[in-house]
Amino acid sequence: MQTAVAAEDKMFYALADPSRRAIFKSLMRGESAVKDLTARFDISQPAVSQHLALLKDAGLICGRKDGRSVYYRVEPKGMKPLIDWVAHYRAFWTEHVDRLEKLLEKMDE
Amino acid sequence: MSVADTTARSQVDTVSFEFDLRHSPKKVWRALTDPELLTEWLLPVFDLALESGHAFTFKAPPQPGWDGTVNCRMLEIEAPTKISYAWVVGDIDTVVTFTLAPTASGTRLSLVQSGFKEHQKQNWGGARYGWKLMGGRLVVLLARIP
Repeated sequence: MQTAVAAEDKMFYALADPSRRAIFKSLMRGESAVKDLTARFDISQPAVSQHLALLKDAGLICGRKDGRSVYYRVEPKGMKPLIDWVAHYRAFWTEHVDRLEKLLEKMDE
Repeated sequence: MSVADTTARSQVDTVSFEFDLRHSPKKVWRALTDPELLTEWLLPVFDLALESGHAFTFKAPPQPGWDGTVNCRMLEIEAPTKISYAWVVGDIDTVVTFTLAPTASGTRLSLVQSGFKEHQKQNWGGARYGWKLMGGRLVVLLARIP
């Protein structure tokens, strides 16, 4: 089982690339085959396949084989690390700014 | 203290808050920049220097898969109104920015933690806009998770 930190790293890394983000966004509109994506974006099929492999490894998309084509779609649960990240820091900063205020009360002007 | 969570609903890569503090900007600035005070309210800080480009670290309690180190680099410092630093945990590069504005009763402290580094945003150009749009869509997708 991969740790939460590793999952986050993979997801942030996968989405840090503009082409992968574009592909991911496109898949959010619906399932697509590799050849459709290659036609939609100005990138070669091997490059598209490589981006898809990385997105899949990050848990953001999943694929199904149908005949000779593989169709990819978004895996909603894959976004969980990002949601967790935001939730973690919301709680973190709320707690610490609360401490900051207590400290300010104690400090001299 | 009154607090407003100003994070846009559609924005999933940024955490932002505004706090109204009943203390002067000068005093709040000290708490944000003095290593001893920072250690007291935020996390133990090491090698802090108030110059742009300077690397320093925070040490949080270690967790499984993370030794607790937050690697930081000062990006922008303008006493007593703005301090911004890279906040790197593992491979996740973020930027934390505090902005202080005087108010009738003290200081409005704005805190923004952005999920991606400033220079990456510039490189991406339009991609960033797409991400925000994507965030709006995300809410719909997440609702389907059992």
